[in-house]
Amino acid sequence: MTSSLSLYAPRESGLHRLHPLTKLTSALLGVVAGIALPGVWPNYAVFLLLLVPLAAWARVLPDFGRVVIKIALPFALSLFVIQGLFWTGGTPVVEIGPLSFKAEGLYFAAKTTGRILVVMGSITLFVLTTRPDQLMIALNQRGIPKTFTYVLVSAIQLVPRFQAKANAILDAQRARGLETEGGFVQRIRALLPVSIPLVLGSIVDVEERSIALEARGFSHEGPKTSYQVLVDTPIQRVARPVMMLGAVALIVGAIFVW
Amino acid sequence: MIHVENLTYAYPTGTGPALRGISLDVPEGQFLALVGSNGAGKSTLCYALSGFVPHFYNGDYTGRVVAAGHDVGNTKLGDLAGEVGLVFSNPFNQITGACYTVREEVAFGLENLGVPREEMILRVEDAIEMAGLGGLGDRSPYALSGGQQQRLAIASVMVMNPRVLILDEPTSQLDPVGSREVFELLDSLSRNGGATVVLVEQKLEWIAVHADRVIALHEGQILADGDPRGVLASAEVERMGVGSTRYTQAARRFRRREPKEVDGILPVTLEQAAEYLGP
Repeated sequence: MTSSLSLYAPRESGLHRLHPLTKLTSALLGVVAGIALPGVWPNYAVFLLLLVPLAAWARVLPDFGRVVIKIALPFALSLFVIQGLFWTGGTPVVEIGPLSFKAEGLYFAAKTTGRILVVMGSITLFVLTTRPDQLMIALNQRGIPKTFTYVLVSAIQLVPRFQAKANAILDAQRARGLETEGGFVQRIRALLPVSIPLVLGSIVDVEERSIALEARGFSHEGPKTSYQVLVDTPIQRVARPVMMLGAVALIVGAIFVW
Repeated sequence: MIHVENLTYAYPTGTGPALRGISLDVPEGQFLALVGSNGAGKSTLCYALSGFVPHFYNGDYTGRVVAAGHDVGNTKLGDLAGEVGLVFSNPFNQITGACYTVREEVAFGLENLGVPREEMILRVEDAIEMAGLGGLGDRSPYALSGGQQQRLAIASVMVMNPRVLILDEPTSQLDPVGSREVFELLDSLSRNGGATVVLVEQKLEWIAVHADRVIALHEGQILADGDPRGVLASAEVERMGVGSTRYTQAARRFRRREPKEVDGILPVTLEQAAEYLGP
């Protein structure tokens, strides 16, 4: 079993090779831009003219498209239907029988969908092109405690194993005749014989993994080193504060200008 | 290399001491095997030698343990790592979960100890080769078989060059193929010497051939201590649930049938059995 919660798509690309903090900063800028940019079209322009070409450059366009559609489409559909139909007042633009779509509602839905596309697109591009462990190293090198980053990164790899364990326990209990299908009461009754071994087993797993980590010097005091080398360049070192300033400028613009 | 002085220990939730007045000395380079039935105190002794008792499990601890020159009771776990290595039975739970390749997994301990990268690269490659994982360095640790994962766990500890290596039933959760792979690695560890090894293992035939010394534990106390033949052929040790090797069993059956034909200490290895029962 090699599955992981991580969406990281290993490819050879310039975007993949960027320093994790550069990608994190640009994702942050994307999130701020998605929320702060005015009107409808700027967000669609950012999405179509920047994020989609970037995904293509990173060779992750199909993965990017899949994730964005999966997340954004249900939001977009419900926004257009609900806001379009139930906008109070407003100018009807399309009428289907007793139902009428209001221009103001559709405008609001389009604006919000644009925001979702840019916010989700920026985050998706970041997670598709950034290895979680490399992000952990980058954050450690910036002084974030290893304990904190370890929890984040290990969860990505260990949660699917936890799910597999839950399924194995479920199968084992079914093999012993436990009824897990049926009505609400039946399902609740089945919960206990599954959850108790799962919780107890997980406590043992956590204890053993803590011992394994300690045996590998996890709590050793003193400077740490890194097996992996994260390449950083002068341009990226300049780009990161510039992007942060850009994010601040967008926030200022959203509050005071537009 | 290891000095244990009157060690008594009880887990916080236990009903009584798991170890009672244990005293032993293990010289440098010795390959010591611990045997005993369930609850005999083998794993607890492993944890005591590696510092997890008392630092991780707390509980009532009296006596003194010195391993690789460190007074274990007064040394932080982080400082013992790299000096005393511990491998236990579940290979899956020894994978950190934070690394995406075998190489990075092996390097994890060295990163924590602050080993320079150039040195780390050499040591990681050596450890991977030593564990027979050459060619798997870029694979995900989760994509390995159980036997490979256990060898990875051993490589991840050995790469830190511990002076004492403790292996607590490293094959008990593996299938026959995985067990064989790990035993082949243990074979080379025992042949090459180097670290002082303490091994808990149920496969007595293997211990009989490879261990320098065997200690049998029973209810937290040392029941027998000596060379493999002296301990594993003992009827008392067998009675206490340790069992005996197939060669000892065969020789014992033969002796029962032909009491006048053979005498002396029962054999524990194939060679000894051949000599014992031979013409």
